[in-house]
Amino acid sequence: MTASTTTTPLLEAQHVSQQFGLPGGHTLEALRDVSLAINEREVVALVGPSGCGKSTLLRLLVGLSRPSAGEVRYRGSPVTGVLSKAAMVFQSFALLPWLTVEQNVEMGLAARGLAEMDRHAAAARAVELVGLAGFEGAYPRELSGGMKQRVGFARALAVEPEILFMDEPFGALDALTAENLRAQVIKLWRDSATSVSSLVVVTHSVEEAVFLAGRIVVFAANPGHVREILPNPLPYPRDVRAEEFGEMVERLHAILTDTLLPEPEHAAAGAPARLVPFPRVHVPEVMGLLDYLGARPDHSAAVFELGEQLGVDYDRMTAVVRTAEQLGWVTTPGEVARLTQAGQALVAQDAKGRRDATRARIMDHPLFARVLGMLREGDGAIDDDELMADLTIHFPFTKAPALFRTVVEWGRYANLLDHDNSSRRVVLTDS
Amino acid sequence: MGARTPVQHDDQRPGSNLTREEIHAVDMQHHGGGKIASRWRLADLLVIGLVGAAVAAIVSFAGEFRAPYLPAIQIDLAPRALPHYVLYSLVRGVAALSISYVFALGFGLAAASSHAAERILLPLLDILQSIPVLGFLPGLVLGLVAVFPGRNTGLELAAILMIFTAQAWNLALSFYQSLVSVPEPLREACRLAGWRRWETFRRLEVPAGAQGLIWNGMLSMAGGWFFLMVNESFQLGTHDFRLPGIGSYMSVAVERGDHAAMTLAILAMITMIVAVDRLFWRPLVVWGQRFRLDDSAGEAPETNRLLELLRRSRWRRGTRVIRRGAARTASRILRPIQVPLKALPLPSPYGLGATLRRFLVYLLIAALATGAAWGLWQLVRLALAVGSAEWRAILAAAALTFLRVMAAVVIGTAWALPAGIVIGRSPRLSHALQPVIQIVASFPAPMLFPLVVLGLSGVGVPFGSSAVVLLVLSSQWYILFNVIAAVASAPPQLAEAADVFGLRGRARWRRLFLPAAFPGLVTGWITAAGGAWNGTIVAEYLQAGGALHATTGLGSLISEATAQANFPLLTGGVAVMSVIVVSWNRLVWRPLAHVAQTRFGTTQ
Repeated sequence: MTASTTTTPLLEAQHVSQQFGLPGGHTLEALRDVSLAINEREVVALVGPSGCGKSTLLRLLVGLSRPSAGEVRYRGSPVTGVLSKAAMVFQSFALLPWLTVEQNVEMGLAARGLAEMDRHAAAARAVELVGLAGFEGAYPRELSGGMKQRVGFARALAVEPEILFMDEPFGALDALTAENLRAQVIKLWRDSATSVSSLVVVTHSVEEAVFLAGRIVVFAANPGHVREILPNPLPYPRDVRAEEFGEMVERLHAILTDTLLPEPEHAAAGAPARLVPFPRVHVPEVMGLLDYLGARPDHSAAVFELGEQLGVDYDRMTAVVRTAEQLGWVTTPGEVARLTQAGQALVAQDAKGRRDATRARIMDHPLFARVLGMLREGDGAIDDDELMADLTIHFPFTKAPALFRTVVEWGRYANLLDHDNSSRRVVLTDS
Repeated sequence: MGARTPVQHDDQRPGSNLTREEIHAVDMQHHGGGKIASRWRLADLLVIGLVGAAVAAIVSFAGEFRAPYLPAIQIDLAPRALPHYVLYSLVRGVAALSISYVFALGFGLAAASSHAAERILLPLLDILQSIPVLGFLPGLVLGLVAVFPGRNTGLELAAILMIFTAQAWNLALSFYQSLVSVPEPLREACRLAGWRRWETFRRLEVPAGAQGLIWNGMLSMAGGWFFLMVNESFQLGTHDFRLPGIGSYMSVAVERGDHAAMTLAILAMITMIVAVDRLFWRPLVVWGQRFRLDDSAGEAPETNRLLELLRRSRWRRGTRVIRRGAARTASRILRPIQVPLKALPLPSPYGLGATLRRFLVYLLIAALATGAAWGLWQLVRLALAVGSAEWRAILAAAALTFLRVMAAVVIGTAWALPAGIVIGRSPRLSHALQPVIQIVASFPAPMLFPLVVLGLSGVGVPFGSSAVVLLVLSSQWYILFNVIAAVASAPPQLAEAADVFGLRGRARWRRLFLPAAFPGLVTGWITAAGGAWNGTIVAEYLQAGGALHATTGLGSLISEATAQANFPLLTGGVAVMSVIVVSWNRLVWRPLAHVAQTRFGTTQ
């Protein structure tokens, strides 16, 4: 590789935005003004909370969809269709169940102009490369998840791509299998025998991003945008037990915590001042967090440790912490979640006391205050559709039905409102 | 075979790791045919026999098309003529089913191609589904007979297309639903592979819809038999149209009051239904399991003995050799064209192709809109030709028939709901009875009508009431079938929970069985009411024992208008029936189905 080739990136997104039309004429803004370059011979990881548009950006880069605004360029020229120099590995494997392993691997070869003999040879090479030799005649149904994803990799490698895109490729696999495959992917990428120049991977796992990527792109939501790009100069092959590896993980943790749990603008913890969406978490999750913190001697824990100890991914964990924070039960100085006075008081309560405490807190939350106001205006009841439309307008980056369900769940728990399934209305609880 | 023996899943028996050759060897020992060294075996003879029979049937039937046009063909009631007639009817049914499949694939593709097309095509399908076969009859028959004057072709095509109108719609809906529920990643994988439209259709969309197409094809075939007697012999004004087939055999037997011939026809019909079910649908359903989209590897696949036999025969390898050869020749011929084609960039999904597709969709929508406008204008013209007195008669008849249909649904429910629950809650009973009920349900009830009417009038029941019994006959099985399926699929833990918490007797029925059966009951009602409405056309106006039995009602009005070739009245009657069926579907069944799904669905 010469120095001159590195001046033009291999693939580049320039100020791309993406909006989706929703029923009822509303739009969901998934990405806003994102610019990102993928250079030759590098591994880029995209991380961030769910709904931040990582997968959307991945699909724009591959050419599976076209941006609402902005442009994607491959070696300087605009991308107008699916990139033939690219291949993709899916979280759900996306194998055709009625084709054998060999037929699945050959999927993309005919369109790339290979004769039948060459197709068989290319498929055989790819199958060998991922360690699936002997399974050519098997159907995907007969394989374990890890083997299926190997077929997914073989299918991608068979077309000799320049860029390999991976959308949470290890997300559906168990931990052992994922670790084994991850190491193999890096080996394949470093192996000069394969054509792959660059890898782009969407992931939920901080360790995975640090293990794989040379650059880690951190996304933030509402709407999706690039928050920070973290270079990761650790030499390959990386050792997860090395001290430097741990430090890198810590740094990424810190950035993510700052992204997901920004320091409140005002000093006092508690209800946010403006109308913000309520995180889509369930009542028992928040209560579980409070109980867990309450049982610890100092009533606090680092958010990422919490996730690891409780077996919850960081995305979910921060959402739960954020909810507890919005309700004033937890503060998050730095990367630590700590019970407040109110939180400690709630932990000491019985079930009834917890409901009453939640009720008192939730009435001050701007979103619930708004919903309660609408209910009072409507003489104690409003149609589901009306509330849904209101949520869609005020939270254009959030999926309204999910938010609606969350509002109803917390409203019921706090004994503030109820949902009538047959008349499809939300009603105020009289008390 | 070379060093590496590819073992194909479908050639392998569960739990063994024998290759196909080894299975061959084992089978040869078991069947004691080792001497012939697996050259020719029973399976091959069977396949050749079946293929030969099919070819002979089609050739013999093709002669029908060239036969001179004889509006009222003579039907021979002798038993030895019967196999011939059965074959003719069967070939018509299969031909109609083939057309239905082609229509379903085209409709599904068109409806899934854009939201605009979806919004027009789905309601259109809903309306088409509600039009009784007789509504299509005069147009098809008169039009096609005029196109092929002096030959039987027109009448044959009309009969086939009438069967098609009873088969096509649920297939189309099923394929459309499969298309819109193909997981997005699979589509993306095909686009990344650079598959063109045709390849995606052939290798992704058709396989993804295959299970639905097979299952609904089975239902369609049964639905197609319902009007067999009407399709093969009917009166249109002064013309008496008749085609050789088991349906017209039955009508002639009824006309002449020949009880032996009637019994024979019914037996022949049952034999045909059972044979088609065993030789065609069951193997096909089992074969179709490979097209499951869900990934459940756990459950053992169903097996079918005939399918196993076919798999072991040599025809698969034979066809594979032929297919390979054909593909190779084709690619050799196409090579000069392929090279420049391959130099072109891969098709862009949102470039020229999309513009062209959008244009085609708009063209299609415009054509449909024009057609609909024209049809509406014709309807208005015909409606104007119907006098106000006739309109009053139509509405009065509609009210009576509505009551009969509802009575039939209520009576059907009264016995089929408890029976279905009892059968469904016992895995042993439902396993044993389901195939039998399926056969019974696919038997065309109108063939039994004459015998039932004669029996009932013998004990003094007026025809107006026996019509209700006939409607029950043509609708009850749908309720039974669906209730069994719903109860059998309820999670067994629910019954265990009911045991643990002491739900017994009436409480058990009210809290467990009835709610579990409800979604199936609603599906059953929808199909049963549809079947009953269709049934009224035959049930309110029929020949039995050499006499015409008729009672006031929309069905008899439609039948009578057809017989007298009173087309304005026929159109009015069919239109009113369609309006009632469509609005009842919209206003009652659909909301009920929604409640059934959201409140009583046992899978969440």
